[in-house]
Amino acid sequence: MLRRSARNRGWLTYGLRLVVLAAALGLWQGLSAAGVIRADEFPSMSQTVTALWDLVTQSALWSAVGQTLEGWALGLLIGAAAALLVGTLIGMNGFAYRSVIGVIEFFKAIPVIAILPIGLVLWGATLTMKFALVAFAVFWPLVIQVCYGVRSLDPVVRDTTTVLQVRGPRKFLMVIMPSAAPFIATGLRVAVAVALIVDIIAELIGGGSGIGERILLAENAGPSDYPQMYAYVVVAGILGVLLAGAFAVAERYALHWHESQRSANEQEQGYPERRGLTLAASLSQRPSPGRPGGDPGLAVRRPVPHLVVLVGGLQVAVLPAAVVDPEGAVDPVGDRAGSRRAEHVA
Amino acid sequence: MTGPARAELSTSLEHLVVGYVIAGVVGIGLGALLWSWRYLRDATSPYVYFLYVLPAPVLVPAAMTLFGIGFTMKVVLIAFAALWPTLLNTLDGMRGVDQVKLDTSRVLGVSPLGSVFRVVLPAAAPQIVAGLRNSLQVAIILMVVSEWEASSDGIGYYIVNAQQSFDYVGMWSGIIVLAIIGIVANLLFVAAENRALHWHYGARAVEGTR
Amino acid sequence: MNVQGHETTPAPEPAADTAGTPVVSLRNVRKVYPGPVRSGGHGGPKVALQDITFDVARGEFACVVGPSGAGKTTLLRTLAGLAQPTSGAALFEGAPLRSVPPGIGVVFQDYGRSLYPWLTVARNVELPLRVRGVPRAERTERVAEVLGSVGLADAGRGYPWQLSGGMQQRVAIARSLAYRPDLLLMDEPFASVDAQTRFELEDLILRVRQEFGVTVVFVTHDIDEAVYLADRVIAISKSPGVVTEIVRITLPRPRDQITTKADPAFARYREHLLGLVMHR
Repeated sequence: MLRRSARNRGWLTYGLRLVVLAAALGLWQGLSAAGVIRADEFPSMSQTVTALWDLVTQSALWSAVGQTLEGWALGLLIGAAAALLVGTLIGMNGFAYRSVIGVIEFFKAIPVIAILPIGLVLWGATLTMKFALVAFAVFWPLVIQVCYGVRSLDPVVRDTTTVLQVRGPRKFLMVIMPSAAPFIATGLRVAVAVALIVDIIAELIGGGSGIGERILLAENAGPSDYPQMYAYVVVAGILGVLLAGAFAVAERYALHWHESQRSANEQEQGYPERRGLTLAASLSQRPSPGRPGGDPGLAVRRPVPHLVVLVGGLQVAVLPAAVVDPEGAVDPVGDRAGSRRAEHVA
Repeated sequence: MTGPARAELSTSLEHLVVGYVIAGVVGIGLGALLWSWRYLRDATSPYVYFLYVLPAPVLVPAAMTLFGIGFTMKVVLIAFAALWPTLLNTLDGMRGVDQVKLDTSRVLGVSPLGSVFRVVLPAAAPQIVAGLRNSLQVAIILMVVSEWEASSDGIGYYIVNAQQSFDYVGMWSGIIVLAIIGIVANLLFVAAENRALHWHYGARAVEGTR
Repeated sequence: MNVQGHETTPAPEPAADTAGTPVVSLRNVRKVYPGPVRSGGHGGPKVALQDITFDVARGEFACVVGPSGAGKTTLLRTLAGLAQPTSGAALFEGAPLRSVPPGIGVVFQDYGRSLYPWLTVARNVELPLRVRGVPRAERTERVAEVLGSVGLADAGRGYPWQLSGGMQQRVAIARSLAYRPDLLLMDEPFASVDAQTRFELEDLILRVRQEFGVTVVFVTHDIDEAVYLADRVIAISKSPGVVTEIVRITLPRPRDQITTKADPAFARYREHLLGLVMHR
């Protein structure tokens, strides 16, 4: 009964979205046609769409996308790997954490844009400059998140682990990592977006090859190339959405067991029941707060959600903060570090 | 050494402050609006997300063609780029408010509109503030980027000018000033946040001990 | 009927007014929840309440007991007007419940989620009065009075999360009594506190019930608590969600944790109700 109306609502939603898109594009075209937007300053919608369509068939677009992705992937990989390693080491040692956290927060607060000129001086407008910048930008917020995740082990879980005689590498892999996983996932989600933005900044302003560079070239070539310039802008946005959406899907699978993957909006469901925990030893009975993001420790087994079509994946990706994030950061650039409460976060 | 760099600072900071404030107000307002109207939210969510993920610096050329190269362009650009993190965090924070709190407010006789201001926004405040903090970082970046290309003053202009004229001392001083801005802004924000959200941190601190 | 000040001598319990309009009246109430939209296997609508019929008279203390999953919370939300029955009638003071009427107070089980952490204790308690336009001087007075009644006269300036669980629940009780509701609904309010505190709170609620003259509907899974507190116990079953039996408790008032529970009649009520609840 409800399923039918839910399906109807699904169609209605898609319909509304198309309407909104059509209205926005129509408005754009209308403004251009009416001369409100001057033709020599800003291309019309039809021109831009045509340019976009043309580009899709040319290799220039795809090579630019490839170049952007190169910088993005390399920088993300290096930055994330370093952050995971360093973050884990620091997080597991209380003394190290307390000594170093100030320095990390300090560097995190430096706007990445300030580092760009340094990168240019060191490496010029090259791929190295791009991924170095991306790695730098990704590292600081992510290392904090990793520390935070590693340190957020529920004291009850920790004690149970000790009592069960689980130690060393097994403890690390089976208890600490899963416990930290949601925090790390949030950090990575933000990192994925940050990496793209910094990468494109490096191209646009630093001159590295890729989408940003194309935008710059088209701009410098004059009004006749403006349609192409905006076509590339659209491409940049779409790329961002695709990358973030792909990550959201991957995250859903990796963290399917975590209670944060339930529906984001509980305001229609009434009160969630208290969550018991299905581990050998019964662990914390603390009820999870209404907001997703309850006990990040070992939690309820949930059924694997249906495969999310990427278009539907936008639904998930729209509210990226639905995944657990104790301090609630949702953003491409930097993130909110829980600097105070390194212990368990309820 | 940092003298000339600092002189350019006040112009940039002016843009930053105005743009950021607009971004905050509009971001929270739109976030609350989208929270209230489900159909609006569903219909626009992919586009909101698209704009959120779009690297804002690519819009510099567009902003320049539409608004010239003066105050308006920079403020509009900063505001536009910085509003998305706040918007999405506001929306998500409001959606995440505990149903028990909402039921309580109904029982206590708080009107629906009153609930938004008395219950939903305060409850969502920690996440809204997180969004505002991210918005600040975005705003700083756009502050610089908006001056990079065609500008005649501001710290971004100063840095790019110095770099292109191989004035490395000048460039470094500009970078240092910029780094300091970022750090100071962050500290100010955290201080303000600790005051405004003291109840949140107090409650959190206690939770861990129960 | 408000008794001024704190009681020092036991006053006679107000007799339940069985002659007038019942405060609460449920007739064949049925509540069905649609199934979850995306599910890993438990689709389909869920019948929380099948057929619930009972009345609660003015001044009465009614307890609702039943096994877990029997829809007790759903029932309470329906009584409060927070949820509408799928079919059947739910009346408050003779009128159908469309939304939450002003004369109802609710104390939720999870005080941590119900009290507003950004407000001090006094401001939490004061909130319903502000909303009703009570002038400031009177608000302060009433807040002080009701906080005094629950034994928290000095706690006004602190924050709820600075208090222990039992004290927080007292704040919640105070907040719901501040505006003198006719009906007080309580959803397993003492389930989240330790046993010792629970006894104190049980006696507290009996005291304030008398002091403020409210009708109380108290949902609990604890049979002992139900028998101790109630004038009548309404036993609900699980599937289907119907009223199994309504037991009138004639234990003498005022009740006492030691003597009342030593009464052989207490044990008989307890045995009877446990049998009802555990066999469904």
